[in-house]
Amino acid sequence: MGLRIKDLSFLQPENAADDDVDDEMDPHSEEEESESESESEQEDVKLMEPSKTAVYNQEGLVEKLEDISWPENVDWMHKLSLDVDQVKEVDVNDDLARELAFYTQALEGTRLAFDKFQSMGLPFLRPPDYYAEMVKTDAHMQKVKGKLLAQKRQIEEAEERRKAREAKRIAKEVQAEKLKERAKQKKQEIEEVKKWRKQRQQSGFKDGKDSMKDLGFGEGKAFERSSKKRPGVSPGDRSGGKAKQGGGKGNNKNKKNREFRDSKFGFGGRKGMKKQNTAETTNDFRTLNKGSVAGNKKRKR
Amino acid sequence: MGKKRKHSETQAIEPKKKDEGAPERPKRTLMGWKDKKEVHKQPDSNPESNPQVFRNKEKVMVTCSRRINYRYRHLMLNLVSLLPHCKKDNKVESKSSKGSTLNELIELRGCSSALFFECRKNRDLYMWMASCPNGPSVKFLVNAVHTMEELKLTGNHLKGSRPLMTFSSNFEKDAHWKLLKEMIMQIFGTPKEHRKSKPYHDHVFVFSIVDDHIWFRNYQISVPHNESEKMVRGGLDKMTLVEVGPRFCLNPIKIFAGSFGGPTLYENPFYVSPNQIRALEKRKKAGKYAKKVKAKTRRKMHEQSNPLEPDEFADMWKE
Repeated sequence: MGLRIKDLSFLQPENAADDDVDDEMDPHSEEEESESESESEQEDVKLMEPSKTAVYNQEGLVEKLEDISWPENVDWMHKLSLDVDQVKEVDVNDDLARELAFYTQALEGTRLAFDKFQSMGLPFLRPPDYYAEMVKTDAHMQKVKGKLLAQKRQIEEAEERRKAREAKRIAKEVQAEKLKERAKQKKQEIEEVKKWRKQRQQSGFKDGKDSMKDLGFGEGKAFERSSKKRPGVSPGDRSGGKAKQGGGKGNNKNKKNREFRDSKFGFGGRKGMKKQNTAETTNDFRTLNKGSVAGNKKRKR
Repeated sequence: MGKKRKHSETQAIEPKKKDEGAPERPKRTLMGWKDKKEVHKQPDSNPESNPQVFRNKEKVMVTCSRRINYRYRHLMLNLVSLLPHCKKDNKVESKSSKGSTLNELIELRGCSSALFFECRKNRDLYMWMASCPNGPSVKFLVNAVHTMEELKLTGNHLKGSRPLMTFSSNFEKDAHWKLLKEMIMQIFGTPKEHRKSKPYHDHVFVFSIVDDHIWFRNYQISVPHNESEKMVRGGLDKMTLVEVGPRFCLNPIKIFAGSFGGPTLYENPFYVSPNQIRALEKRKKAGKYAKKVKAKTRRKMHEQSNPLEPDEFADMWKE
C-alpha cells in the first residue's frame, strides 16, 4: 500500500472532471506507459469524501432488482445462499483479522446449511469413496503436499540446529567446570605435599618411610599413573598411544607406506652422521657427472 | 452400505433430469433465450406441488480482453473451473468490447449472463458482471488477486459440486448491494441439477463486504476422514475449512441499467482509478527535482543580496 489517503487530498478537484470510467485512461496514458512495475497493483486508495457528482438512482436499482430476482417462493435448494452476520467491523489492513472474519462467516454458513440439509434429509458432504474430478489436479496437490513437507522439514531442521547449539553451550560449561575441578585438586595435592614436608622437617627426618603412609600418598592415589594410558604403548610415547589411533582403519595403507619409506631411507637416529662425507663418497663422482650432463643437454637446446 | 445407498440416489436423480429436459427442447430458439423472465417462469411438466416450477437455467459466458496478464488469465480459468454452468469464450478485442459486440456474442452462445475480464495496461483488471438481454451490468475493479495455483492454498474439492454461498449481512444495507448480491447469487451459484454438477456440497463461497469492497473466498469443507459417515452425530464440531482459492476483491465502480451499457444507476463516490493513483505518485516524484533546483536558485539569490564583508586579514601574508 504505497499511498496514504491524505496524499490524495489535492486530487479531488480534478477527479470530478475525468470521473467517467470509460475515459479514465486517456488523460495520463502516455506518461505512464514507461512506468516501473514496482508499484503494487493492489493499492487501495479511496477519496477522502464522496464526490458530489456520483449517481445514485435508488428507484432504478430497486426496479432492476425486482426485474432480475427470482420469484419469491423459490426453494432454498436453488439458491443455497446464506446470510451471516458480521460480528463486528473488520479492519481491512489487518490481514489476520480479516481472514478470520471470512473464515468464521464461511464456517457459520456451512453449519447453517448443514442443519438445513439434515432436516431435508439430503446428502451433504461427499462420501469418502466417491471419486470424481477435482478442481485441482493430483499433480498440483502433490506439489502442495511437497511444499508442506518441505516446510515441516525446514522447521525440524531449525529445531535440531537450535538443540545442537544448546547442547554445545552446555558441554562447554561442563568442560569448564571439570577444568576448574582438576585445578583445584592439583592445588590441594601440592598443598598436601608441602604439609607433609614441613611435618617431616619438624620431626627431624626421623620416622623415615613410615610416615608416608599417614599422609594419604600410601593410597597410591597421587602417584598412580593415569588409568587412561593404554596397554602396549612404548614407554617413550608421550601421547600414550593416542597419536596413531586417530586414523583407525583408513590409515592402514598409509602405515605400510611409512614403514616402507622408513626401511628405505631410515628413521630416527642422528642425522649428522649420515650427511657427513666419508672416504667413499668423496671418491664417488657419479652424482656430479649426472648433474653436468643434464645441464649440457639443456644448453644444447 | 454406503455404496448401495449412493446408487439408489443417482438412479433417482437421473430419470428426473430426462423428463425435465425433454419437453423444453422445442422452446429453445436459434438465437438462444428470448427473455430471461420467460425462461424462469416457463411451465414445467414435472408434477410437483406448485404449478409454476422454478428452474434455474443460468448460463454464464466467461471471456476476457486481449493482452490479458497471465495472472489474471489464471484467475479467469480458476473461475471457469468453479462454475460448471459457464461457457468460456475466446478473447475479445478490448476496443470492440464496447457494448453491442459483447451482447451479440453472449446471445450467440445462448448465455444469460456474462463475466468479462478486461485487462488494461497489463496491470489493472476490471471485471464486468452482466446479465445479458436487458441488464443490469456492473463494472468492478479487481484487487488483491490470488489464484488457485498458489501453493499456500491447500484445499481441494469436487469439480462441479454446487457451492454454498454465504453473504455477509451488510449486503442488505443498501439498494445497490442488494442488487449486487442478487447478481452474484445468480452468476456464481450453480443451477440445481445442472448436468455437469455433482450431487454433494463440499465447498463454500464467501462474499463479504469489508471497506466497501466485495471480498471473495472459496473454502473446502472438510471433516476428519473416517468420520464423514458419522457426520450426522458429532461431526459438526470437528468441521474445518481449508481454503481452496482463488481470492480476489471487487471494488464496484458503476452499475449500468443495460447489459454492457445503458444509463448509470450507481456510481461509487469513493472510487479513484489506478491511473490517477499512479499519476499522483509520479507527480510526487517529479516534484523532488524541481524543489532542488528552486532551492539552489534561492540560495544564489540570497548570497547575491547579502554579500560577505571583505576579509580584513585577506592580504596579510602577501608582504
